[in-house]
Amino acid sequence: MEIDNVSNISIDEIGSVARIIDTELTIFERMKIKKRSLKKVSGAIVFYLTTMILFSIYL
Amino acid sequence: MELILYVIILAFLFETMDSSAGMGFGTGLTPLLFLCGYEPLQVVPILLMSEAITGITSGFFHHEFENVKFSIKRPVNRETKVMLMIAGFGCVAILISVFLAYFAIKFDKNVIKTYVAILILVMGFIGIIKLKQRSSNYKPKLLASLSVLAGFNKGIGAGGYGPVVMMGQIFSGIYEKTATAIVSLAEGIVCIVGVATFLLISNYGVTIDFVLFPSIFTGGFLAAIISPYMVRVLPNKIWRVVIPTYALCMGVLILIKLYIL
Repeated sequence: MEIDNVSNISIDEIGSVARIIDTELTIFERMKIKKRSLKKVSGAIVFYLTTMILFSIYL
Repeated sequence: MELILYVIILAFLFETMDSSAGMGFGTGLTPLLFLCGYEPLQVVPILLMSEAITGITSGFFHHEFENVKFSIKRPVNRETKVMLMIAGFGCVAILISVFLAYFAIKFDKNVIKTYVAILILVMGFIGIIKLKQRSSNYKPKLLASLSVLAGFNKGIGAGGYGPVVMMGQIFSGIYEKTATAIVSLAEGIVCIVGVATFLLISNYGVTIDFVLFPSIFTGGFLAAIISPYMVRVLPNKIWRVVIPTYALCMGVLILIKLYIL
């Protein structure tokens, strides 16, 4: 069983990633959004707009 | 195409809670829309369609914001296995409910809905009592049993699938933030089967009214992106209190809907 050195949490455990993030990062550190995530949010907005345009044509 | 502001706000609020506490979109929003004068065929298939998209979106962003790590490639990790098990029982439940409806097998709605409301109330109450306990080890057998129970409830038309699987995961020792993420994606998959079933039924003469879709989708989709971020940022101790308290509220809401409204 692998153990994370800083938080002492088993990496195999369900939810270990969330637990480690909670233990090791402060709220302000958790608030930071990665560039990669921002790109995915932009992709989701494009998906939303496409769906709405298609529905406005359909309805 | 019409966007209805109060429907957008309601969908946003209930999807925010659904994607961050794992329950409430169907149980909470459906009776409110009925109270606003909408018909079941304007509400139920649209909520299923919207929840199918928002559930998958929310699951995707929970993964992105690291509340959970799903694996697509083999070997699948334990989070993915739990999600597939919960979704599997939900999908079977949908098929059972269609089978029961097809053969016109009916249960007393008041009795089965009262039973589910009491079950959710008890689970919420136990969750609140257990707040001071340290998180326990993972109990896969308990989770499987409660997932079967949630599927059975959904299958006989009593609803309450989200609250039961959500509380079931917490009682089985799954970290609250991860449990929320797992149930969001599982509900998305279950709703895809629900939508497919409705589309099949619509081939046999049932007409679906899409007038509410743009409003519910707008509110729900926005919430499906914001909630996983909120779950990441806020500490888990907040979710440990919010989830059982919200489950308790859902149980009370079902009872109010049954006996007062």
